Amino acid sequence: MADHNDPNAVNSIFSDIDVSAADVYDMFGFPSDNTAGGEKVVIALTFASIPETGVFDTDMLYRIQITAHPRAAYPSGDDHSLEALLRYFDAVKDKYLVELQAAEIRVTVDQDGGARVAFKDFPGGSFSTVVDTNEVLIIDTPDGHSIKAFLGGRDDAFFNDLPGFFRSINYAPQFYHVPHTMIEARELPIPKTLLELEGNDLFNFDPNNPKHGQGVKKDLPPGPWMWDGDRYLKDENGNFRFVYSGKDAQAGRNMNALIFEIPLSFITESPAEDRVVSTWGESWVLKAANKVETIPDRLFWLEHPWALLDAVTLDEEMKKYKLVDTVGQPFADAGLSEREDNRQLGANNFWLAPHFIKRLAHLGWGFGPSISALGLHTSFDHDNSPVSVHKKYATPIEAFPRAKKTLFQKLNMPDDTWNTSGLDIHLKRPFEIFVPNVCAIDMDTTGTWPFGRRLEDQVATRFLSMFLDMGAEFNGKQYNIETLNDQSLWDQAPIVPKTPPNPLKNDKEFLDNFPYLAEPW
Amino acid sequence: MKRPSDYEIELEETDREISRLEERTDTTPLDAATATRYAYRLYHRASLTENYCEFEAVETAIDDAIRRISLWPDLCLLKAHLDFKLHRLAKARQDLEMVRGPADFPQGRALKADLDLQEGRYEDARRGYESVIKENPTWDNLARLAYFKAKMGDVEGAEQLYVEAQEEITAKQMRSYAWVEMQRGLLDLAHGRFDDAGAHYERAGAAYSGYWLIDQHIARLLGTQGRYARAVALYEEIVARVPRPDLHQALGDLYVSMGEPDKARSWHEKALAAYLESAESGDVRYLHHLTDFYSDVREDGAEAVKWARKDLDLRPNYSTQAALAWALYRAGQLAKALDLMHMALSSGVRDARLFVIAAEIHQASGRTEEGRQYLREAAEINPYYQDVHVHL
Repeated sequence: MADHNDPNAVNSIFSDIDVSAADVYDMFGFPSDNTAGGEKVVIALTFASIPETGVFDTDMLYRIQITAHPRAAYPSGDDHSLEALLRYFDAVKDKYLVELQAAEIRVTVDQDGGARVAFKDFPGGSFSTVVDTNEVLIIDTPDGHSIKAFLGGRDDAFFNDLPGFFRSINYAPQFYHVPHTMIEARELPIPKTLLELEGNDLFNFDPNNPKHGQGVKKDLPPGPWMWDGDRYLKDENGNFRFVYSGKDAQAGRNMNALIFEIPLSFITESPAEDRVVSTWGESWVLKAANKVETIPDRLFWLEHPWALLDAVTLDEEMKKYKLVDTVGQPFADAGLSEREDNRQLGANNFWLAPHFIKRLAHLGWGFGPSISALGLHTSFDHDNSPVSVHKKYATPIEAFPRAKKTLFQKLNMPDDTWNTSGLDIHLKRPFEIFVPNVCAIDMDTTGTWPFGRRLEDQVATRFLSMFLDMGAEFNGKQYNIETLNDQSLWDQAPIVPKTPPNPLKNDKEFLDNFPYLAEPW
Repeated sequence: MKRPSDYEIELEETDREISRLEERTDTTPLDAATATRYAYRLYHRASLTENYCEFEAVETAIDDAIRRISLWPDLCLLKAHLDFKLHRLAKARQDLEMVRGPADFPQGRALKADLDLQEGRYEDARRGYESVIKENPTWDNLARLAYFKAKMGDVEGAEQLYVEAQEEITAKQMRSYAWVEMQRGLLDLAHGRFDDAGAHYERAGAAYSGYWLIDQHIARLLGTQGRYARAVALYEEIVARVPRPDLHQALGDLYVSMGEPDKARSWHEKALAAYLESAESGDVRYLHHLTDFYSDVREDGAEAVKWARKDLDLRPNYSTQAALAWALYRAGQLAKALDLMHMALSSGVRDARLFVIAAEIHQASGRTEEGRQYLREAAEINPYYQDVHVHL
C-alpha cells in the first residue's frame, strides 16, 4: 500500500523554493508630474527577479487592479467607538466588493521575452498587446490614449532596515534556522520593542557576531524562548540600544517591475470627480493542468499580438492560474497580517479588520513603552509601563480601548507640500489606510504616503510613526509622519546608534522621468 | 543531441544541489538547516530513483546529523518519512514523537494518518486525513483521502478529490501533477476502464517526461490489455534503467501470461534472489512481494505463509491479512485462510482483487454461494478482474 499511496515520494516535505517569482514586494502609486495632455498616474508593481533581473518567469501572471472613485467623506465624525469603526469597515467593504468594479492590467511573458499585456474593463474596453520587455514603450489604446510602460529589471526601490524591523518583532527566521515543523517559532513570545531588552540574548545585537540576523543565522536553541527581564538594556553611558541600524538591507539588490504611466481619463470617464485611484497587485502562478496545454494558447497570442478581447476570454484565463501573493499597502503584510499565506487577500482583506485591531494593540504594547522610554509621546495606552510587554488579545473588544487613539488619530504631514491642489483634503487615519489593503492615490496630492506611495517615501519609518501621539510636539513642531526620520531627534535621544530607524533615501537615485525606478545593478 | 527529459533534468539539478551541500556538511559546527537540506536532498533523489542503496545513504546522513547536532525536529520528520517509506511503521511512529514539533506539524499529522491506515485503523485514518485537510487542503493531503475513499469503494468521491488535488498543483510541481494523474489512471485500471487509464498515463508523461514510474504503469496496462510485445519492450527498457526486483518479477509475470515460462524463469529467479537478499539483510520492504511470489509464482504455500506472517506483524491491515489468507489457502489451511479473509473483508475495503481471493477461498471451503457473491462483487467493480493483477 505504501508504494501506491505515498504522495511524499513526489511532494516536498519541506519547501525547496527559497525565493519565488510569485513574491510581490511593493506597490507604488502617485500622480505623474507629467501632465501634458492630461493627468496621469504612475503605478509600479515590484517583485522578485526570478529567474533573473529583467527575465520573467513564464509560468507567472501578474495582475494590477485599478479603480477610481471620489474621495471618501470624512468617516464617522467624532465617533471613536469600536462600533463606528466596524460600521466603517462594513461600508468600505460594500463599496469595494459591490459598487466598485476594478479594471485590471495583466502581464504574462513568454519564453522569448515577449510580454502580453492585457487591459480589462477600462472605460474604453478591453484589449491586449504583445510588447518587448526591458524597454520604455508607448501602448496606444483603442480609444486613443497613450500609456507608457516598462516591464523589466530595476534596482530594488525599497530601502529599509528589514533586519531591524525583524529584530523589533523578535522574528526568529531572520536570525535562526527555525525548524519547519515548529510553526510556533516564528515571532517568539518576547515583547516587541524598539529598544533592546536587557537579557534578550536571542535578539540583542552581539558585537562578537555583528552579522547575526543580516545573513548569518544560528540554530534555534531549544525553548522556552521567553524573556523574564524588567527593563531595557542600557550601556555604561545610560544609552538605550536601538534595534534598528538605519542601514539599507536592500542595497545593491535588483527586482523585476511592471511600471505604467496611465492617463486618468483612461481609468475613469469622470476624472474630475474620481480623484482617488486605488490599486493593488497580485501574483498568480499557472496551474499544472494548464501547463500541459499551453502551446495552443501561445500560438494565439503570437498570431494576434494586438487583440480586442472580451471579458469572458480574460476571466477564463484566470481560471488557469492560482493566486499566490498580493500587495497594496506597505507593512499590511509583514506588519499586520503576520505574513500568513491565507491572509493574501489583496483589497478583499475586510475579514482581517478585527485581527488588525488586535494586532495593532499587540504591536502597541511593544512599541508604545519604547517610545515613552525615549521621552517621546505615544498614541498607545500602555498604562505607563516602563518596559515593553508581550500581550496578545483574544478579541478586538479587549484590544480596542488600548489602540483607540492609534487607530483614530490623524496622521500629521510634515508640511503642506503634499496637498498640491490646496483642496480641503482630510489627513488620513490609520484605520483608513490598511483596510482595504490598497494603495489609494489621491490625484490632488503629490501621492506621498499615505496619499499614495512615492518612490522616495520612507514608509517603514512612517509606519512606526502611527505609534507617536500626533498631538505632541518636538522642537516646537507637531509630531508627524516624518518625525522619526528627523536626525535631530535621534541626536538628542539617549540611544545608540544615533540614527533614524531606516535609511532616508534609496541606494540609487531615482530617475526624474519614466520609468522613474533606478536602473538595475 | 537528444533533449534531456524532465526526470533527467531534475535528477541533474538534485545532484548539483547535493554536491554543493555535501561540501558544507564537512564544516564544523554543522548547522541544522544545511544538514536537513542535505539529508532531504538525498531523500528526494532516492525517491526519484527508488534505489535502496540511496535510501541507506539517507539514513546514514540523518543519523550522522542527529549525532552531530541534536534531535532537530525537521530531521526527525524526515526520518519518520524514510522509515514509513521502508515499511518500518513502528519506527516511523517513534520518530514523530522523538521531539516536540513533527507530530503536530501538518505533514506529521498526515503521516500519522498514513500510519493508521497501514496499521488497519481505518476510521482513525479517515478522521486524520479529514482533519489535516480542514487546515491544510494541500494536494498531497487531498490525494491521501482520495486513495482512502477509492479503497473504501467511494470511487466518485475519490475522483473528485483527485481533481481537487490537481487544482492545487502549480506549474512548478509538474512531477506531483503527473503522480496524481497516475493515481487516477490506477483508479481507472482497478475498475476496468483501460482506455481512461491509458489517457491518464499519457497525460502524466506529457506533464513530466522520462519518469520510469509512469512507464512502469504504462507497461502494466499494456500487459493487461494483451499488448504483450509493446509491454515486454517497455519493461525491458525500464529494467535496464531501474534494476528493481519487483520490475524483474513483473516482466517474468508478463512472460508467463504470454505462455513463455522459459523466458519468465530468469527474471523470476533474479527477482527472488534480490527479495531474499533484501530480507536477509533485515529490510522489510519486499516482504509482501515475497509473499505474492511464493503464493502465485512458486505456489509454495508454506514459504508464502512464512513471509506473509512477518509482513502482517509489521502492517496489520486488510492487504497483509488477505495476503496471508491467500498464502494459507495455497498451503491448504483453509479454515485459517477463511478467518484471515474475514478479517480483511471487515475492513470495508471494496477491491476486485480482494473479492476474487475471497471468492476462491470461500469456494474452496465449500461456501459456494458466498464465493459466487464475491465474484459478482468483483465483477461489479471491474468486469475484467481476471486480467488485472494489482498488489492489494
